[in-house]
Amino acid sequence: MSKWRIIAKHEYITNIKRKEFLFVTFGIPLFLLAVMGISFFFMGAVTPGEANKIGYVDRTGLFDSSNLTKYTDEELARKDLLDNKITNYFFIPENYTATGKIIIYSSRKNFADNMKIEEQIKNFLLDNLLKNEPADIIQRVKKPIDSQYFTLNENGLKSEDSGFTIVLLPLAFSMLFTISIFASSGFLLQSVIEEKENKIMEIILSSVSHEDLLKGKIVGLGVLGLTQVLIYLVLAAVMILINPVALFLIVSQVHISIPLLVAGIIYFLMGYLVFASIMAGVGAVATTSREGQQIAGIFSLAGVFPMMFSQFIISSPNEGLAIALSIFPLTSPIAMIMRLSITDVPLYELMISILVLAVSVYFIQEISARIFRASLLMYGKKPTLKELIKYVRQN
Amino acid sequence: MEDRIEKTINVSRLSKSFNGQNVVRDISFDIKKGEVFGLIGPNGAGKTTIIRMLLDIIRPDSGEIKILNGSLCEEIKNRVGYLPEERGLYKKLTVFETLLYLGALKERDSKERAGMLLEKMGMFSHKDKKISELSKGMQQKIQIIASIIHDPEFIILDEPFSGLDPVNMKLVKDLIIELGKVGKTILISTHMMEQVEQMCSRIFMIHKGEGVLYGSIDEIKSRYGKNTVLLDFEGELKNIPGVKKMNNSGHYAELILESGTDAQVILKNLAEMVRVNKFEISTPSLNEIFIQVVEGT
Repeated sequence: MSKWRIIAKHEYITNIKRKEFLFVTFGIPLFLLAVMGISFFFMGAVTPGEANKIGYVDRTGLFDSSNLTKYTDEELARKDLLDNKITNYFFIPENYTATGKIIIYSSRKNFADNMKIEEQIKNFLLDNLLKNEPADIIQRVKKPIDSQYFTLNENGLKSEDSGFTIVLLPLAFSMLFTISIFASSGFLLQSVIEEKENKIMEIILSSVSHEDLLKGKIVGLGVLGLTQVLIYLVLAAVMILINPVALFLIVSQVHISIPLLVAGIIYFLMGYLVFASIMAGVGAVATTSREGQQIAGIFSLAGVFPMMFSQFIISSPNEGLAIALSIFPLTSPIAMIMRLSITDVPLYELMISILVLAVSVYFIQEISARIFRASLLMYGKKPTLKELIKYVRQN
Repeated sequence: MEDRIEKTINVSRLSKSFNGQNVVRDISFDIKKGEVFGLIGPNGAGKTTIIRMLLDIIRPDSGEIKILNGSLCEEIKNRVGYLPEERGLYKKLTVFETLLYLGALKERDSKERAGMLLEKMGMFSHKDKKISELSKGMQQKIQIIASIIHDPEFIILDEPFSGLDPVNMKLVKDLIIELGKVGKTILISTHMMEQVEQMCSRIFMIHKGEGVLYGSIDEIKSRYGKNTVLLDFEGELKNIPGVKKMNNSGHYAELILESGTDAQVILKNLAEMVRVNKFEISTPSLNEIFIQVVEGT
């Protein structure tokens, strides 16, 4: 077994047992699941119907209903509300047709309820205002559009876009992507700094070359990142199996195409390589882990830039900002995946993006390896920018 | 012609500077196979830099290094053991895990040898403890074991005695002597002259990056002449004519005589001043030579 493999194996085994890894791998999906579960729970509560008993006071004389209790005296309505005979009542003033204003009273504060009640009141008002129109017109006024979106290109009809997928899929995908890339390159940073802080670096370097050390760490933690992605996928599959109803909706809307998957793997690997190489360099330069985190933070910020601007990328995936972010090497892995999952990216843009990324991977690795070699053993002394440039230009 | 096979290390005209400062300047020396060699010099002289260059951890600016008859490749790294001056281990791993990993990096399955060495150093019962649970002295011993876990031919020990109590110091010393006996080549870098004097056959002394003494200890000492008196005494020692320098530690003193001074006259003078328990005419100690060289430059 060549030495970089021994190191890769060691890094994999020691890091997979880290608390941070277990937290990111299992904690975050559980947290997301909990958040999703809570929102599903509330959505479930907003089914129209029974629990609410609504009354109304009409000063216009236009409204009539079989479902709602009509009061002529507002005092009586108020009394019934306080006695819990009704849950809500609303007051329609004489000038309603001119202003559209009504006043709704309820016995308790509840946002989800309010939405539901407003829906019920709206239906009641429309039914009465349009009582001379045919039933289908009333139906149309209540729900004027049921939309479907398609993207059209030169070859004719292309994919069907679903509103839900448009936001959810790229966001979820790039979130997973970001987490995995940053978690594993973050571990790399930690592992380099720990070996420096533990002062074991010199023993390691007397046994293996700098190149093998760097390669072993990058490969070992890269495989760890892939393991994490795999665990995410398995967890997702398990969640779907356990709760088919709630998640069927999402999953049925997710079309992961083969080209997207291939691009995903390419961008994941290259994105990881970019950040892992940067972190290795940062780790070699930093004297303490806190300092390392600070320097690394600057690069990570650049990396999550596409997440912060995801709204713009999703709303206009083929415009300036989105294109720029999907070509700049620190942001391209995430930005491009976001774009690919919602739109058709021109092939030449994809090629340019991958090419730029590949060239960057090469150069960043080369630069990091040199910095790695030159500054690993400078305990307690951070090289200046000038020295760093000198290291890079050496050899 | 010299026999090259006999040499474990051959360093010629090695130089290294950091930020324009010469840390090591034009240094050449050999280490013969099977010898215990001392690399000595005050703190900051450049000893560790030389060692790191031997191990290709840093690259020299100029000069050539031959190690085990070649330049340092992975195969040769596997035959070299190294105890760095900056001590450290993985805090979260156990003693045994640490040794196996460091052995594996030398491409050795070191399970049996790890057990044997732990036994020898009185550490076997701690083998499943995490490194962070061990005392400093114990960690030191683990590091020394780690440096020889792969049964290397050539062992570099950078300040092997620093931070050890007398009991552990003896343990380590005995281990080094034993390794020397079985034919290992050992390089000890230290500023503890007494230890070097006892263990090494030849030395290279470096001061401010330059080689100042090189050769066998006996030969170096005789170069400085039999001009030293070692004295065990009671009383108060004052200046005596004919003594160039006096290292007085209260009850023990080392007197360096001016050339041409008769030791018998000194003894006579001394006897009038203090109670002499022991009087020995000797070559200067390595420590004295060390101080003379450092102060003389």
